[in-house]
Amino acid sequence: MTPVRRLTLNAQRMGFFQLLPFFQKYGLFVFLLLLIVISSFLSPHFLSAKNIEDLLNQAAPLGMVVIGQTFVILTGGLDLSVASLMATVAVITTSVGRANDAMVLPIFLISIGFAVGVGLANGWLVTKRKVSPFLATLAMMIVLQGIRFAYTKGAPSGMLPPFFRILGTGTWCGIPINLLALVLLSVIFAVVLYKAGYGRRLYLTGGNARAAYQSGIAVDRVVIIAYILCSVTAALGGLFLVGYTGSVDNWVGKGYELDSIAAVIMGGASFKGGQGGLFGALGGVVVLVVIFNLVLLLGLPVQAQMIVKGLVIILASAFYLSRD
Amino acid sequence: MKNALKKVDPAILIVAGLLVILFLIGSLFAERFGTLQNIANVLEQSVSLGFVSLGQALVVLTGGIDLSIGALINLTSCLTSGLVNGRAEMILPVICAVLLLGLLVGALNGLLTVTLGVHPLIVTLGMMSILQGITLIYTLRPPGCMPLFFDFFAYGRILGFPLGTLIMLLLFALIILFLKRIRLGRYIYAVGGSPEAARLSGISVNRVLITAYALCGFFAALTGVYLVSRMGMGDPWMGQGYELASITPVVVGGITLAGGKGGLLGVLLGVLLISFLNNLLNFMDVSSFYQWIVQGVIIVVAVSFYTEKIRK
Repeated sequence: MTPVRRLTLNAQRMGFFQLLPFFQKYGLFVFLLLLIVISSFLSPHFLSAKNIEDLLNQAAPLGMVVIGQTFVILTGGLDLSVASLMATVAVITTSVGRANDAMVLPIFLISIGFAVGVGLANGWLVTKRKVSPFLATLAMMIVLQGIRFAYTKGAPSGMLPPFFRILGTGTWCGIPINLLALVLLSVIFAVVLYKAGYGRRLYLTGGNARAAYQSGIAVDRVVIIAYILCSVTAALGGLFLVGYTGSVDNWVGKGYELDSIAAVIMGGASFKGGQGGLFGALGGVVVLVVIFNLVLLLGLPVQAQMIVKGLVIILASAFYLSRD
Repeated sequence: MKNALKKVDPAILIVAGLLVILFLIGSLFAERFGTLQNIANVLEQSVSLGFVSLGQALVVLTGGIDLSIGALINLTSCLTSGLVNGRAEMILPVICAVLLLGLLVGALNGLLTVTLGVHPLIVTLGMMSILQGITLIYTLRPPGCMPLFFDFFAYGRILGFPLGTLIMLLLFALIILFLKRIRLGRYIYAVGGSPEAARLSGISVNRVLITAYALCGFFAALTGVYLVSRMGMGDPWMGQGYELASITPVVVGGITLAGGKGGLLGVLLGVLLISFLNNLLNFMDVSSFYQWIVQGVIIVVAVSFYTEKIRK
């Protein structure tokens, strides 16, 4: 009798203590699962192929931005300039593109080149000039906005090359192309983050910059590369978002800077750096998109999305932070 | 004299110096820049930026940040014009209610920050989203209007001096006194400098933080009322951008984002610097697009310059 009793007690204790870290690590995914189950009960349309395709189409550009944002937040920083960069890239797309598919490759190269410059400037300000990441990227956001408006004189002109519509809304074997692009990018960046030396150095730098420096890591370079990667993924996100929306104005991607930060923090990262990871952050993206979708399927006014989003951002972050 | 100068925060000297240079350049390049009429106009235009920066400065001094300012301005401006709806007798009660709402929303920001332990950036970002959603649902029909005479708050002059500016200066003076003379105000610096040390020395950190956020919400609501007075009616996007615009004068004025350092005089000078700079650029026919670029450069230069000073 006693051994059995002890065993069950042990099991209970073990169970509780083993479940707790499980929930802390995968809580967002449990929440997501619950959300999906509830949504499919509330609306029969939720699990329809069309709706899921729409959901994933919407998630893809934000997901791309979130990949880079994760890297920057891992360094203990944040990047507010991503949305402004997305819009700037979008404006480049139409003005260079002029509805000509031959310009697609040059557009990608110009956008990525521009993004590398922006990321380099952000990283340089943060590391070499010791400007706080918030202010450095805020200033970059405003400067890019000025450059964009000065370049377009307030009204973007030109047409989107038709190929971008395929990128943004087309499918390949029934799978949205921009989702495939997101998966590809996620795999590449996951390898960089979890398998390559750079990822290890990034976590060490974010966790304790001084210790990382003393163990011989070129801390500044690690941080600068993170900002460059963030700008590049934001530029890619901008290109795919333009393809999805099909039109360009000066505010493409507006709000993505804060949504992307919220997704990363909901995914278990901390502004202190060195915590969290890529898959949690992408989980955060899906949560945000599913919530938007649910509000619409329930027939609530679009504006209610914002209220629900605000509540979820605060509560999900609180859930994660309560562990430490 | 030299000792007195040494006591002054270098940021204040720098911003004041920049203002003087700006005035010299301004009077050289644009003859109307230095006229009393223009100066009064710019002072009038700087009022809303002054209100929000004052609130933001208090929060930044604690080491936090408030991104919900813009959405709170939107909500309060729509509520003010919607509830008053042209009835003069409703103005006073509605304004009191709206200012109280701002105070409460701010206090809620502070309360959530301290109880949930979530970074204020995320809390106030979530709050921004919630407030904006409420504003947009409230304004499915256009919000009402204000009685015509109500524009005295924005356009009134006392002996040629803008009434709004007078109120702004008065509020700055009050809050400077609050930070210097009142214990709760001094605690804001202590908490911003080191929350742990403040807690150990017996300060109720939570109360201080909630006070700072509540005051910030109050000033955002006041800005909403002021902008309604300026425009004649509320607008669900009126305050857009103020949450970030309010940060520029704060950091240019020498308050560090880490908290605990800097003063409100610098913020006031920062507000004037930004307002007069934009005005001068307008006179020089520089489009507002380039004005954004200038503003971004100012943030970076100011901040990296100050950090250089601190490191030395």
